[in-house]
Amino acid sequence: MNPMLDKLSTLWPEMTLLAGACVCMLAGLSGSAVVRRSPRWIAAVSLLLAGLCVATSSVAEPRHTGAALVGVAGLAVYVKMAIVAVGLLLLLIASQVPDRLRQTQDAEAATGRGGVFDPAGVMRGEFFAFFLLSLCGAMLCAGAEDLVWLFLALELTSLPTYVMVATSRDRAGAQESAVKYFFLGAMAAAVFLYGFALIYGATGSTQYDQIAAFVHAQSASGQALPPLFIVGLVLAVVGVSFKIAAVPMHFYAADVYQGAAGPVTAFLAFVPKTAGFVSLIGLLGPACQANAEQLQPVIWLLWIMAVLSMTVGNTLGLLQHNVKRVLAYSSIAHSGYMLVGLIAAVAAATTPGAVTAGEHLGNGVAALLFYLVAYGLATLGAFAVLGCVTTDQGDEAQTYDDIAGLGQRHPLLGVIMLISVLSLVGLPPMVGFLGKIYLFGSAIQHGYIWLVIIAVLNSAISAVYYLRIIGACYFAKPNDQTQVAVSPAVQLGALVAAVGAVMLGVAGGRLVDAARDAAAPPDAAVVETAPLPDGDAESWSPQWADTSVKW
Amino acid sequence: MLTTLAVDSFSHYAPLGVLLLIALAFGAGNLVLTRVVGPRRLGEVKGMVYESGVNPISSARRRFNVRFYIVAMTFLVFDVEIVFLYPWATTFPSLAEGSELAPLFLGRMLFFVLTSVIAFAYAWRKGVFRYD
Repeated sequence: MNPMLDKLSTLWPEMTLLAGACVCMLAGLSGSAVVRRSPRWIAAVSLLLAGLCVATSSVAEPRHTGAALVGVAGLAVYVKMAIVAVGLLLLLIASQVPDRLRQTQDAEAATGRGGVFDPAGVMRGEFFAFFLLSLCGAMLCAGAEDLVWLFLALELTSLPTYVMVATSRDRAGAQESAVKYFFLGAMAAAVFLYGFALIYGATGSTQYDQIAAFVHAQSASGQALPPLFIVGLVLAVVGVSFKIAAVPMHFYAADVYQGAAGPVTAFLAFVPKTAGFVSLIGLLGPACQANAEQLQPVIWLLWIMAVLSMTVGNTLGLLQHNVKRVLAYSSIAHSGYMLVGLIAAVAAATTPGAVTAGEHLGNGVAALLFYLVAYGLATLGAFAVLGCVTTDQGDEAQTYDDIAGLGQRHPLLGVIMLISVLSLVGLPPMVGFLGKIYLFGSAIQHGYIWLVIIAVLNSAISAVYYLRIIGACYFAKPNDQTQVAVSPAVQLGALVAAVGAVMLGVAGGRLVDAARDAAAPPDAAVVETAPLPDGDAESWSPQWADTSVKW
Repeated sequence: MLTTLAVDSFSHYAPLGVLLLIALAFGAGNLVLTRVVGPRRLGEVKGMVYESGVNPISSARRRFNVRFYIVAMTFLVFDVEIVFLYPWATTFPSLAEGSELAPLFLGRMLFFVLTSVIAFAYAWRKGVFRYD
C-alpha cells in the first residue's frame, strides 16, 4: 500500500466529522423548519459515526519507530474515543445555544407570521458545523506525525472556537471575549510556529521520526543538543501552552470563559486543552531521544510552567466573585496538575531503564490521558449547571449570588454541581481523586517530591473556592432574582457527566487500562536509522532508575 | 537523511544576508539617484496621490459601505481556491497510467471544489450577493 493511502485510511473519523460539518452548514440555511432545526441531529449522527470509525479502526502499525513518547496509533485511538464521548455530552448541553439567541427567535417569529425564512442572522448551521470542525482538528492533533500537520490541526481546533464564542450569546461581552481570544490566539500561533521553524532549521526536517533520529544521533555521539533546537522546542511548548491555558499564556482564560455561553465554555475547557496536551506529547516525543541532562532546559521550563500555573490559577481563583472566572482559573490550575504528569513522562523517557510501561503509577502520559477525561467530565457538569440559571436581565448566572440556594431550588442541578466541584477538588470517590493520585504518583515515582508537595498544597488552596461554590449552592439563602430552566438535553448531558465522574472514580479500571495501553511506548525503542553503538547495549538493559529526589 | 543545516554556523544564511544588503542598497540607491539625477517639477497635478490615475475625491479616511468588506472576503476565498487548482492540474497528468493515486487525487480535488460550491451556496443564501 501507498503510505499516503495508509495515512488516509486512519482518518475516517475526521473525514466523517468534516462531511457532517458541511451538511450542517447547508441544512441550517434551509427554508423548511424541520431541516433547519436538524443540524444538532446531524452533528450527533456524525459524531456517532466517527466513534464507530474509531472503534472499528484497526490499530495500524505506526509509520515510524522510536520517535514518540508513546505509540502514535494507540494514543490517537484513545484520544479520538475520548473526544467522541465527551463531544457527545458537549453536544447535548450545547444543543440549545443557537436557538436561545435573540436574532434566531426574531427570524423564527417573522417566519411564523407568514414571511419567508431569512437565514442571514441565524447561526444554527454554523454553530454545529464549527463544533464538529473543532473536534475534527483536535482529532487530527492526536494523529499528527509532522510539524506542519500539527500546526494546521491546532489552528483547525482553534479557529472555529473563536466564532463559537462570538456567536454564543447576543451580548457585546461575547464578542469582546472572542476578539481577545482571537488576537491572543494568533499571537500564540505565531510563537509556536516560530518554534517549529527553528526546530526545522536545527534538524532539517518537520517529520517527528526525522527529528527523533537527529536528536538520537546527537545524543548517541555525546554532543549537546544545538541551542537552536532547544530554543525552538521552548517556543513551541510555550506557544502550545496557550491551548491548555497554562502560565504564561493564560491571560485570556478568565475573560473568554466569562464572555462565552456556559456550554461553549465547557467546550473551550475540554477540546483545545486536549488538543494542546496531545500536541505537547507529540512534540516532546522526538526530543526525549536525548538524555535528561541534554533536555534539562525543557524540563525546567515545564517545571516552572506547572508550578506557576497551579499557583497563579489557584491564588487568583480565590479572589474572584464570578463563578465562571473561578472555574477559568481552576482550568489554569488543572493544566498545571496535568503538566506534572507530562514532566514525569519526560523524566521517564529521558532516563535509560526507567521506562515503566505497564505500571499504573509512574506512567505520566497515562495519568495525563486519564486526567483529561476526568477533568472534561467534571468541568462539563459545572458549566452546564451554570448555563441553566438565568438572571433577571436574561443573562447567564455569573456570581456566587446568582447560584445561591440552587441545591434547594433545583435538587438535581445542585447535586450535579456538587459532584462536579468535588471531582475538581479531587475528593474520593470522584474521578478527580483517582486522576490526581495517578498524576502525582507518576511524579513521585521519578523523584519530583517538591513538585508534588507544591501540587498538593495547591489542591488544598483550591478547595477554598470550590467549597465556596458548594456553600453558595447549599447554605445560602435561595436567590429569587434568578430563573432556573433546564431543557431535557442539558439535563441528560450534565447528569451523564456527573454519573460518569462518580462511576469512573469508583470503577474506573477500564479507563485506566485504556489510558495505560494508549501510553505504552512503541515496541522498538531505538531508532532504526541510527542504531546504538554495540558497546552501549549493556547500559540500555532494563534496570530500576536512580530515583533520587529532584525538584 | 540527516541534515545539520545551521547547526554549527550560520554561513548557510550568507546568500540571504547578501540579498538583504542588495535590497537595502537598491531602495536607498533609488532614493539618492532620483534626488541627484531626476528633474524637479512641482505642481498641483504632480503632487496628487495617483499622478496618472483617477482623481481622488476626498481623504481615504472616510466610511465605506461594510458590503465592500464582505465582497472583498468572498473574492479572496474564491480567488485563492481557484489558484489551488493550477498546481493540481499541472501535477495530475504526470501521474503514471493506472496509478492507484489517481482516484485519490481526483477525489480530493472534487471535494475541494465541492467545498467552494458549498461556500458559494452559503454566501448566496446568507444574502451576500443581495444588493437592495
